[in-house]
Amino acid sequence: MKTFVMLAALLGAAPVLAADLRPDQQAFRALYKELVETNTTLSAGSCTDAAAKMAVRLKAAGFADTDMTPFATPEKPREGGMVAILKGSDAKAKPMLLLAHIDVVEAKREDWTRDPFTLIEEGGYFYARGAADDKSMAAVWVDTLIRLKQAGAKPKRSIKLALTCGEETTYAFNGAEWLAKNRPALIAAEFALNEGGGGVNDANGKPIFLAMQVGEKASQNYTLEVTNPGGHSSRPVPENAIYRLAAAVTKVGGYDFPVALNPTTKAFFTGMSPIMGGEAGKAMTALVANPNDAAANALVSSDASFHSMLRTTCVATLLDAGHANNALPQRARANINCRIAPGGTLESVQADLARVIGDPKVSITPVPPLRPIAVNPPLDPKITGPANAVAAKYFPGVPLLPLMSTGATDAIFLTGIPTYGVPGIMGDRDGGGVHGLNERMGVQSLYRGRDYLFDLVKVYAGIK
Amino acid sequence: MKSIATALTLALTASALSAQTVRPDQVAFRALYKELVETNTSHSVGDCTLAATRMAARLKAAGFADADLNVFTPENLPLDGGLIATLRGSDQRKGAVMLLAHLDVVEARREDWVRDPFTLIEDGGYFYARGAADDKAQAAIWTDAMARLKAAGAKPRRTIKLVLSCGEESLPRINNIRWLIEKHPDWIKADFALNEGGGGTLDASGRPESLGFQAGEKTTANFQIEATNPGGHSSVPRPDNAIYALSDALSRAGRYEFPIRFNDVTRSYFTELGRISGGEMGAAMVRLVANPDDQAANAIVSKNPEFHSMLRTTCVATLIEGGHAINALPQRARASVNCRMAPGDRAEDVQAQLVKAVGDAPVSVTRLPPVNPANPPPPLTAEVYGTAKRVAAQHWPGVPMLPQMLTGATDGRFLIQAGIPTYGVPGAFSEPLSGMHGLNERRSVAGLMAERDYLFDLVKAYAGVK
Repeated sequence: MKTFVMLAALLGAAPVLAADLRPDQQAFRALYKELVETNTTLSAGSCTDAAAKMAVRLKAAGFADTDMTPFATPEKPREGGMVAILKGSDAKAKPMLLLAHIDVVEAKREDWTRDPFTLIEEGGYFYARGAADDKSMAAVWVDTLIRLKQAGAKPKRSIKLALTCGEETTYAFNGAEWLAKNRPALIAAEFALNEGGGGVNDANGKPIFLAMQVGEKASQNYTLEVTNPGGHSSRPVPENAIYRLAAAVTKVGGYDFPVALNPTTKAFFTGMSPIMGGEAGKAMTALVANPNDAAANALVSSDASFHSMLRTTCVATLLDAGHANNALPQRARANINCRIAPGGTLESVQADLARVIGDPKVSITPVPPLRPIAVNPPLDPKITGPANAVAAKYFPGVPLLPLMSTGATDAIFLTGIPTYGVPGIMGDRDGGGVHGLNERMGVQSLYRGRDYLFDLVKVYAGIK
Repeated sequence: MKSIATALTLALTASALSAQTVRPDQVAFRALYKELVETNTSHSVGDCTLAATRMAARLKAAGFADADLNVFTPENLPLDGGLIATLRGSDQRKGAVMLLAHLDVVEARREDWVRDPFTLIEDGGYFYARGAADDKAQAAIWTDAMARLKAAGAKPRRTIKLVLSCGEESLPRINNIRWLIEKHPDWIKADFALNEGGGGTLDASGRPESLGFQAGEKTTANFQIEATNPGGHSSVPRPDNAIYALSDALSRAGRYEFPIRFNDVTRSYFTELGRISGGEMGAAMVRLVANPDDQAANAIVSKNPEFHSMLRTTCVATLIEGGHAINALPQRARASVNCRMAPGDRAEDVQAQLVKAVGDAPVSVTRLPPVNPANPPPPLTAEVYGTAKRVAAQHWPGVPMLPQMLTGATDGRFLIQAGIPTYGVPGAFSEPLSGMHGLNERRSVAGLMAERDYLFDLVKAYAGVK
């Protein structure tokens, strides 16, 4: 049934034929296609290749070699990236940074309906791994610099572009982290524009709201571990590592962290209230007024996304114990993945877990990497103002909400650079297959988002 | 303290033995035992067939005809052979008595052991080697008994069949007993079989306290408890979660206690042990036999894990795994639950009880292969059990004998399934630091010699040798 509904929605969307595309859109499409079709998975791809291809396009548009800095470490030659700069005219104006990651989540051809590394346009959607996450944004940023250069634009502030690798894989080489540590001057900026915002379309492809990401939760893993002398399974004893761990995990599963609102989430739920309407809308307003309103909390938290935006969450993701099916387990372990809301710390959440579990025989250890907890950027009118103003042109009547991402982005590494997830590239409510199968990007959504972001960058950069 | 006292006692006894009272037949036995122990029969580099061949050579030297010596090897497994030797009985109406022992041993690495595990070393009253106890002591005793009977021209009424087998320890490549049952049931036909699994206990000063006559064992059945879930990204947890469902189910299953299920063997065991041991524990055993619903008595007896396991079916989670990525909600979580079923319990009933125990936790409970035979314990007949007691009274006067049900498993489960009542004979007392399956396995010299004397007389009694 779902498929039929989607089909109806697709039929409703006006087909974008190649002939209907403006010349600049055709050029963009070629760039996007080249980027998407360059495999940048950790297992078999090369971010370094993808960055080099984008550099070739920038150079063709007029960028000097000195304005482009490809980078890669000898240890991770395929996990490189690139920084480019379009110099500003006003030395006093601090630069702005356009950030996008070019690596993608793994995708297996046999699992997908179509080849994940061929850009296939079908029924109003682009299908490919990375079609949305995050090559849509990477392509828009590269295309923006190309167009500005070709037009001879004179921005007041310098516009920097950083294409990085390793965002998708926790333990991989992370380009944003590397740049922040090793080339801070190269990416120094007053603020950065990143993924994490966007907006949501309804089933008919009509925008419901635009989102600007202002802040995010921090990801931290903890290992719960129980050890035991073990023994032969024909003689069970009451003390058992698996059962003790199971009891601890059950307690974690039954615990809900308290509501912890911040300026971003307050503004989000305030703005979301009229969009939702009804009981849910009222509950959002009530919860912003009184975070202890249990009834409102229950209603809003019944949506998993809202539930996660309202608080720190900790969830068991991995479980492992025992060494033979005829031996009592000597060790039992669980991984608890926590998403720490602003205000929480690695230590405070660990203390919360210890209190909830209440069993000193269950050890709780933070799992590396112990990453910085992002300092949430302010809801700065210099940022939100232009985003709203430009939105009025491309998305008239569509509200723009600030959003705290429940996932983590590379923003956590950009210490001292307030980083915003820009609105404009709309997605579907079902998530559009991001990180999953048959990832897709609405064709109209991408072109409109591109137009919006081009204008937004010009405003931020002070281009007449 | 206990181990020192015991070791001291045994050491003194042993040195006295070696200095003064080694009989000629014990010297011969020791040579056989040494040859057997020093023939590596571990799964990785050993050769059971070689051990079987060497034992056959000794029997031939004692007078066995080639026709009565059957060194067999399963198809395509030249190293995993065994031996069947037959000493024919005079009374064709009586079936054979089988003397069963396994030749193969658990792996042992020289660098982990204090001494070379494949050299028989006598030290402080103990024989040290892999297999010194499990099960080459018994294999040597049986082979030696056959050789002595033949050399003495004994005329047993019952036929005596010696079966030395390979592959008991871990079914590494093949289990000879299963293979024989399937391929050559006529070779191993017998009225009953004598096997490992029995034993006895020593008191704190190392003196025999009780003899254990094993009749029956629990049966292993493995189950899988599994929870599945659509999963998703871990930054947006959903209320239902495969790991939580499994944890909930395991917490409940872990609290579940199977009902007490006595059989003739355990009833007799707890009755006699209760009388012998006395005190609060002894009284509780007697009360529990009289009334299995006596919760107070149950609580006292079940405090001991071995008793707890002998009283009932037990199930315990031994392995768990769940999830596929550190930052993804788990799509699957599962546990292996290892059950040891009391004789008479059926896997279907155990599964039904597990399902009931996990209640409304959203999990599935399925049975895992292999399906092991589940048998009632073999009967404690007057001929088998009464004879064992009678002969023991001559060797260890005043030491009571208890029938025992094993909570672990031996090859007896296959033979019993095949219709051959199989018993673990007593005589090998549980010694401290025995190293069975572990490091520095050992067997006390004096204990081994006493066991040999008892079993020789026992075999003669069973077989009707005058």
